[in-house]
Amino acid sequence: MGQYEEGHRRRTEIKESSHGATKQQVGLVIYQPVPHLFHRFFFIPLIWSFYLSFTDWDLIAPEYHFVGFENFMDALRSPSVHAAFWVTYKFMLVFIPIVTVMALTVAVLVNGLPRFKSLFLIGFFLPYLSSGVVSALIVKGLLSYNSPVNTFLRSLGITIDWLGTPMSALFVIGIILAWKFTGYYALILTAGLSSIDKEVYEAAAIDGVTDRQRFWRITLPLLYPSLYTTLILAFGVTFGIFTEVYQLTGGGPNFATNTWQMEIFNQAFKNLQAGYASAVALLASLATFISIYIVRKLLELWGKRYGWN
Amino acid sequence: MKKNVALLLLVGMIVAVLSACSTGQGGKAEDSGEAEGGVTTIEFWAAPNPTQQAYWQEMAKAYEAENPNVKINVSAIKESPSSEASIQAAIAGRSAPTMSENINRGFAAQLAASKALVPLDTLPGFQDILSSRNMTETIEPWTFADGHQYVLPIYSNAMLFGWRIDILKDLGYEQPPQTYGEILELTKKLKAAHKDKYLWAKADLIDPTAWKRWFDFFMLYNAASGGNKFIEGDSFVGDEAAGVETLTFIDNLRKENGILAQNVTDPFETGTSVFTDLGPWTFTMWKEKFPEMKYNETFALTMPPVPDGKNPAESKTFADTKGIVIYADATEAQQKAAVDFLKWVYSKPENDLKWFEQTMLPPARDDLSTNEAFKAILDANPQLKPYAENVPNAIPPMDNAKYNELQTLIGQEALNKVVRGEISPADGWANMKKAIEDALK
Repeated sequence: MGQYEEGHRRRTEIKESSHGATKQQVGLVIYQPVPHLFHRFFFIPLIWSFYLSFTDWDLIAPEYHFVGFENFMDALRSPSVHAAFWVTYKFMLVFIPIVTVMALTVAVLVNGLPRFKSLFLIGFFLPYLSSGVVSALIVKGLLSYNSPVNTFLRSLGITIDWLGTPMSALFVIGIILAWKFTGYYALILTAGLSSIDKEVYEAAAIDGVTDRQRFWRITLPLLYPSLYTTLILAFGVTFGIFTEVYQLTGGGPNFATNTWQMEIFNQAFKNLQAGYASAVALLASLATFISIYIVRKLLELWGKRYGWN
Repeated sequence: MKKNVALLLLVGMIVAVLSACSTGQGGKAEDSGEAEGGVTTIEFWAAPNPTQQAYWQEMAKAYEAENPNVKINVSAIKESPSSEASIQAAIAGRSAPTMSENINRGFAAQLAASKALVPLDTLPGFQDILSSRNMTETIEPWTFADGHQYVLPIYSNAMLFGWRIDILKDLGYEQPPQTYGEILELTKKLKAAHKDKYLWAKADLIDPTAWKRWFDFFMLYNAASGGNKFIEGDSFVGDEAAGVETLTFIDNLRKENGILAQNVTDPFETGTSVFTDLGPWTFTMWKEKFPEMKYNETFALTMPPVPDGKNPAESKTFADTKGIVIYADATEAQQKAAVDFLKWVYSKPENDLKWFEQTMLPPARDDLSTNEAFKAILDANPQLKPYAENVPNAIPPMDNAKYNELQTLIGQEALNKVVRGEISPADGWANMKKAIEDALK
């Protein structure tokens, strides 16, 4: 009887599909753009980039030469590439703790609201939609020598060249990025918070758990899947920083904010060295892949402590 | 069923791969500009600002009215993220326009080295443009190392330095200083009277971005060296004595606390600094934003200062100049139509006058300060006169394909470090010279 019902249901579903096509067939048709996009925007550019990295081509000249591993050797010796490698990790040290704490704070506060949660989340999400160019220019104005902020600081005897000092330039850009991504990550974390079973908190309350214990011992471990996602996304962001650096510091002072993307852009579009830029891009991909892999493993180890596999 | 699914997937993959591998030339044939029904279509990319775009649209319309067999599509160069990057991407993607403006000599050298540009001097009618526009002398320094002309300069700004003459008058000056020694003297007086003011407030002084050297180092270096070429072909020919003198001047200003190398909003207009590099485009902005900036009342203009003992009247400066190029991908019909269009535009001084009035950028002509056609605008805007007069004293940018890398090295190895007090002028020059010579190998 059960088998008959199941078979009837599936037959009905098939008939319901338009023009007699099965769901599987409809799915396959919808899927068709995927291999197309995959090839056009990932596979072919990747192979092309490999090819380019062994040439001295600028993408324009009718003639070019194969240079073997010369581009890679030059890149490995280049001070600006060394800077790009280390600057990425410096940005991680600034950006990830700030954005995680801010997103977590926003998520916890918004989740505790009795009403208008969505409204607040949309509000915090808006910076993510804002133009990086515009926000960078606003920050540039706010931090200029004669801005009210700096005029006030000078009146207290404090003079800071925000974008002209390596450390402060890193902090300023890290904070802009944290401001931009906080709402986005808070959205993910809020979804995670709302999926935590309320009964766990009720049981903890009966056991007399304090607010601090509640956060550290219950909320944070149960939020692990969402935190894992936001942290991996945040690590990924640090390998793709461009607009803010391009607008505010141009990679300076002294390469202190020279990111992989800045380096690739400078070589490909300013020095017209597409072959060399491809080699740098492949090195950047390698650094990204290895770093994200290590981060993933570390996060998984952390998750295992709380029983997440 | 499984066979059908496999077939569907296979077909999808093949279509995806083939379409991704296509060069897109199928679409290009349609817009190739080849005469269709007797009409040649040319694509003109204008500078990414509304004024210049409007000017070229007006010219194109007027030309089309007289020449119905040519259609000119004018659009702005996209800045994603820079106009140079957009042009490079367009050439690589085989979607380059027929011609574009806003091309500096350095970028043109990069494109010419990659054979992406048509040598204009090889096109019939090009010499007619030079003679009818009266620009044979102005274009002379534009000749590239291979002897060809790849750019038709549209405008040439002899970059000048602006002085806050109102503040200088308060300090007892009737005229701006013209030599390094006089400027150092002024800096001392300025700091004594106003601790919070600086001679030169400019964050770009510590930024290695290549083009920024045109508006600091090259203005001063050209004045100190009498217009030395710096790079000739693939050789570094910089004048060491002049270069070290230039860097020493900047170092001395730093020592006197006369330089503020930080991001400052409108430092010259607000009086935070009394000295700045000025191009004529600034005056349009001032008219709207700072109407109190009046020529010879609040500000004065001079050629770059010279080292002590040199004649300020013989000072040279940097020519901020950009022009039009024709791309090698354009068909012969398009190239011919493009030259004919330029010949039409520059056969009448009124079109240059219109350009001058709308953009405030001095047309690159030999007769700018003498031709009656421009007298009215120069009389009405006396601040433009020194720009027009100094066109012959302005040196265009280097024509080396590696100009971006080379000019970045000037900042990285010498100027930026001297401004930060991290290196002596002589060591900065020596390091820069070595780095440039290595890059040129």
